[in-house]
Amino acid sequence: MKVNEKNITRKESLSVELFYAKTKDRFKLKLITPKWGFDRTIVDQNLHRPGLALAGFVDLFSYNRIQIFGNTEMRYLDKLSNGDRLTALERLFKFDLPCFIITDKNKPHSEMLELAEKYQVSIFCTEDSTTKLVYLVSDLLDDHFAPQLVLHGSFVDVYGIGMLFVGKSGIGKSEVALDLVERGHRLVADDVVIFTKKGEGILMGSGTELAKHFMEVRGIGIIDVKSMFGVRAIRYQKRLEVVIELELWDDKSEYTRTGLDNKNVNLMGVEILNIKLPILPGKNITVISEVIALNYLLKHYGYDAAKVFQDNLTEKINNKTKGKNPDRMVDYFEHDFE
Amino acid sequence: MIEKKVRIINDAGLHTRPAATIVKLAAKFKSEFFIVKDGISINGKSIIGVMTLAAEKGSEVILSFEGDDEFEASEVILDYFNRGFDEM
Repeated sequence: MKVNEKNITRKESLSVELFYAKTKDRFKLKLITPKWGFDRTIVDQNLHRPGLALAGFVDLFSYNRIQIFGNTEMRYLDKLSNGDRLTALERLFKFDLPCFIITDKNKPHSEMLELAEKYQVSIFCTEDSTTKLVYLVSDLLDDHFAPQLVLHGSFVDVYGIGMLFVGKSGIGKSEVALDLVERGHRLVADDVVIFTKKGEGILMGSGTELAKHFMEVRGIGIIDVKSMFGVRAIRYQKRLEVVIELELWDDKSEYTRTGLDNKNVNLMGVEILNIKLPILPGKNITVISEVIALNYLLKHYGYDAAKVFQDNLTEKINNKTKGKNPDRMVDYFEHDFE
Repeated sequence: MIEKKVRIINDAGLHTRPAATIVKLAAKFKSEFFIVKDGISINGKSIIGVMTLAAEKGSEVILSFEGDDEFEASEVILDYFNRGFDEM
């Protein structure tokens, strides 16, 4: 499977307006100023606590991040005289920063509100502690700025394993997905799947907002899996664990026989198990997919069938006392005629 | 590989009917066909994919073809775009 690096996209900025829309209900962030500077943009997923900048050191000031005022910053400002406080704060406001968040039920000083109006910058307040807020907002921004890759395929949760079926148009990806859904598995998305990199080694896949759980089946047209099979047949997102490449049987292509030599595909720096499945008459791709999922689960829980077989073989070869001919699985059952 | 930049010129944009025609035209060719809009590339042989673009009038997309019959495919599909999906 080849992936065009050009198709990996990454959002470059987030406007304060969108940030507010995403966070106001989720994190109980209260906007305490009018909507000032809502067109300002956040371009960095990290947050910044501007303690040193308040104290006067602005050489390496990370002004393009959201500025967090926690207890430390507020107590420091409390200690300053009114004039000094204005100078300290104005030093920050002069930079082109996105917005401020004041945590831990703290209230902004009047100088801060005056400057917010003068420079048109929004201030948010929250009752959460700085640690909690930083944790929540960082995760949201990480997700927003994470690299994304759109792939063409069907994405299904099979026994809890996220399986992506890829292959040429018309090879039957949607039909396999439909068959799996019929057998009680859950569809994440068909045709267009957006994968977002989470942390270092996780890819989360989801459908698009428009296509949802709609699917095209050749000869029928567009169907809605959610309405047809109910809510048990779908899910919104799933971690990607296996990529299954469907292809027409090719004599020249080599398919794994033992399962000891598994191949991976690298998607945005994450290694994902990549299995090539040839399509042949009489081959039930759905059942094979279920078996792949179960085998993956077994491996995950520490049992690798291919390896166990290999070990048994090695032991047999090294054990000279046994006869040359293959032994029966059971040695001898007395009077067993069943 | 052939890449062509093209603008959607009909009033209704790339809605269901033209999307269906595009995938039908594309299916006649062996070449791979992708449509790129706002940096997102989708498979031009998938109706759900093409409709996901929700390309409105005036928007610009890049058509990319790769394969043995890429030239013929690009001619036919580009012509359909330039005719405003026969809605002009």
